[in-house]
This record gives sequence, C-alpha cells and structure tokens, in this order.
Amino acid sequence: MNASSNTFPDAPRQRGRLLDARLHLLDRQMLDDRGVPVGIVDDLELSADAFGDIATGARSPRVTGLVSGHVVATRILGGQPPPSRLQTIPWRLVAAIGTVVRLRQTDMSFDALWVEHWLRDHVVARIPGGRHAAK
Amino acid sequence: MKNVFAVALGILTAIGGFLDIGDLVTNAVVGSRFGLALAWVVPVGVLGICLFANMAGRVAAVSGRATFEIIRERLGPRAAAANLGASFFINLMTVTAEIGGVALALQLASDVGPRLWMPVAAFGVWIVIWRVRFSIMENVTGLLGLCLIVFAVAVFLLAPEWSGLTHQAVAPVIPETESAATYWYFAIALFGAAMTPYEVFFFSSGAVEERWTVKDLGTSRLNVLVGFPLGGILSVAIAACAAIVLLPAGIEVTSLSQVVTPVVAAGGKLALAFVIVGILAATFGAALETTLSSGYTLAQFLGWAWGKFRRPAEAARFHVVMMVTLLVGTAVLFTGIDPILVTEYSVVFSAIALPLTYLPILIVANDPGYMGEHVNGAGTNVLASAYLVIILAASLAAIPLMIVTGAGQ
Repeated sequence: MNASSNTFPDAPRQRGRLLDARLHLLDRQMLDDRGVPVGIVDDLELSADAFGDIATGARSPRVTGLVSGHVVATRILGGQPPPSRLQTIPWRLVAAIGTVVRLRQTDMSFDALWVEHWLRDHVVARIPGGRHAAK
Repeated sequence: MKNVFAVALGILTAIGGFLDIGDLVTNAVVGSRFGLALAWVVPVGVLGICLFANMAGRVAAVSGRATFEIIRERLGPRAAAANLGASFFINLMTVTAEIGGVALALQLASDVGPRLWMPVAAFGVWIVIWRVRFSIMENVTGLLGLCLIVFAVAVFLLAPEWSGLTHQAVAPVIPETESAATYWYFAIALFGAAMTPYEVFFFSSGAVEERWTVKDLGTSRLNVLVGFPLGGILSVAIAACAAIVLLPAGIEVTSLSQVVTPVVAAGGKLALAFVIVGILAATFGAALETTLSSGYTLAQFLGWAWGKFRRPAEAARFHVVMMVTLLVGTAVLFTGIDPILVTEYSVVFSAIALPLTYLPILIVANDPGYMGEHVNGAGTNVLASAYLVIILAASLAAIPLMIVTGAGQ
C-alpha cells in the first residue's frame, strides 16, 4: 500500500502529554499517597475493545489499569505468570505520573507487599529497635 | 557560618570516605612493585569518580531516583537483572573485603586473631546500620578516616630523595622485574580501586536519604570536587610510602601489616596508633557503605521500600537483605580466604563492571524528562564521553590481562 491509497483516518490530535508506555510507565516505581513504595508497574491492562479487530469509528482502546506483582522472574525469563500473582490497580487511582507513578488514597491492599509485611511482623519488628527510627 | 561549617564537614568526610581497603591495599602493592610509575592512574581515576559521582548525585537530587531504579526503568528488567547480578556480586566481594579489613585492623591493634574479630566487625556494622542516623554514620567514619593523613606525613618524615621520586611519577618506566602486562593489569586495578561502583550506588542513594534538592547541588559538587582529589593525594602517599621503604627492600605487600610498615618506620608507635585508627575508620565506613549498597541496589531494582530514613520495620526486606549480606560476607571470610586477596580481585572486578552502571547514568543525566534544565552541559558531556571510552577499554582489557598475568603474579 502506498501513501496515496492510505484510507486510515487521521491520528487523533494530541491534547496534553504524550506518554510512551514502554518509557514512561513500564518498570516505574509506584508510590502510595504517603510516599511508600507499593511496587513496580509490570504491565498495563487495556479495555476489552483493544483485542481483536477494532471497528472503524469505534472508541479507541484505553489503558484501564496498571498491573503489578511478584513477576520479575517471568519478565526476565519469559512465559506467563499465574494470574494470582498479578494485581491490577485501576487507572482512576493514578494521581500523577512523573519520575514515579503516584497513587491516590485508597483502602485497596497491595498484594505485592505480603513478603514485606511477613518479614516485618516475623523478623524485623521482633529485633530490638526495629520499630524505632535511627538516632 | 553554619554553611561554611557544613561545607568543611562535607569535604573532610569526602576525604576520609574516599579511601577504603581497596585503595589501601592496591596502592601499597603497586608502590612496592612499581614505585610511583603508576601514580598517574590515581588522578585519572579520581577525575572519573568525581564526574560519575557528580552526575549520579545530580540525577538523584533532581529526579529523586537512585541509580538502580533508573537502570531498571531504562534497560528493562532483563538487562537490568544481568547488571544487578554483576553489581551485587562485586559489591558482596567488597563487603567481604571491608569486613576482613576491619578485622585485620583490629588484629593490628590487639594481637587477637582476625577470625575472632570478623563476627565482631560484622555485628558492629549491622548495629550501626540498624540504629545510627545516616548523617552521623557518615561524618564520624569520614572524620576518623582523616587519620590516614599520617601516610602523607610519613612521606615527609622518611625524607626521600625527592628528585628521584618525582622522576618516577612524571616519567614512568616499567621496572625490569615486571612485564608490560602486569603493569597494565595493576593500572586497571588502581583505576578500579578509585572508581568502585558502590561509591556511586551509595552516593546517589545517600542523596535521596539526605533529601537533597536542586539547592544542595552546589554543596555536593564542592564536597566531591575538593574531597575526592585530596583523598587521591592520600592514595598516592600510600604508594609513595611503599615505594620509599618496601621497594628497595624487595618486600611485596601480602598483608595489612606490610601496608603500615613504612608509617611505623617513619613515625614509630604514635604514627602506628594514627594509622590503625585511620584504617579502622576507613574500612568500617566502607563496610557500612557497601552493606547499605547491597540493600539499595536490590531494593531499588525490585521496587521495595528502602532507606535509613525509614524505620527498619517500614523497610523490612531492605534490612533483611543487608543482614543476609553481612552473614554471607562473614561466612566467606570464615572459609579462611585471605581478605587481602579478596580485595585485590574485587578492585579488578569493579573495573570490569563499571560500564554497566556508568552508561545508564550518563544517558539519564542527558534526559530532560528526568532532569529538566539540569541536564549535562556540553563540557561535562565531552569529558564524560572520553571517560566512557577509558572505562570500556579498562573493562574489556581486564579479563585478558588477568589471565595472561595470572592475576598480577
């Protein structure tokens, strides 16, 4: 197909900031509203209409959430992680995207933190001084 | 007045913090074998670490991101994991060498064997990381490390023939007893001792720990640009001491007591006391920095909470990694391996791994998305590109030279 027979509609006009999913979202650190790291963006969740053929004039697919979990092994070696290891953080919780992804205040518990919490409760907090700031 | 004090403190800390077991051993070994014929490597290494630490510190202060967070963002999980594997392994070697160094320094002071001191040293490092605030930890070890100035004093007390010494340094000749391959092997070792990657992990993470902002950049630059070169002068002084006393006597450095022999010859017991305190502070400070670096690199790669500014319970995985690192380092020392040998290998491996961390930092320091208006200037980029070539050349040449020379034998 040469340029003159291109029947695709024009690309949508960009309003606001253009984000490159690979450069600006994947592998970014996510911080909760108190600035505590809650995980790294491992994948993106797209709206259902992103899969299969997209009808002309249909609404363009959208990013509906950030996916995070204990999946560093499959991301390095390839393969599909079990779905239980992934957690989707809905896009509405994203407060700001800069050098980190900041999330809004939420009651959601982040599954990826269970090792952190287990080690905190069973090891670190039991050693004298573990619960106090350094002097 | 408070500012002047802060700057002076920062500079003094940088001088004391520049030297670690790698610099002590490598400079003494080189001095005893090559005289000052390799002294030119130290300024090359010092300028490199100034440049690298300055860039990493600026990136951390402006973007709030430490080195390994950036490496993962830029290289993706796969390349970053390979990078982490290499960096973490070399850092573990350095932790082992530094704990060994603390134990050897305590042995010099007490005559009690190093095996009894190793667990004490590791426990001391852990308790300081667990309970002492970052700034106090940095300043105390840095200031006590200034005792190593006794090496520079010793050079004067030994009253060497100055013209011969400067001639060795200015017009380097490879001694007849040594081959060109060993000469270049030790050049890379010295370069690696000055430019150890952990210094950069530590520097950039430290900038986040101390919550640097753009306003602090001037102070940090001054600390680095004045403190590290003065630390480099101490490095040359260590080599000069060895060149004056050990080289003519044909003594090769294989232990820490030989490193301090020239100082004792020059200044007796008082000088020995200073040098022991200095070595103890320098190795203990570096043991703290490398242990923290092991936690920093892993936690930053995996997106965990990290930092001494958090309570240990708020960065549980970070603290557990550091405990395990200290245990592994001590266990390796208990196999009876010679800490001096571990040190000699760790500085060469540092040079080999250097491009892995240098390149991502150089790229991000030029990325306005992270740096805004604080991207590298043209002058910095010219110098940084020249260093990229030097670092790559040293990294590629190190393994062939290690094989050819039998690790400098």
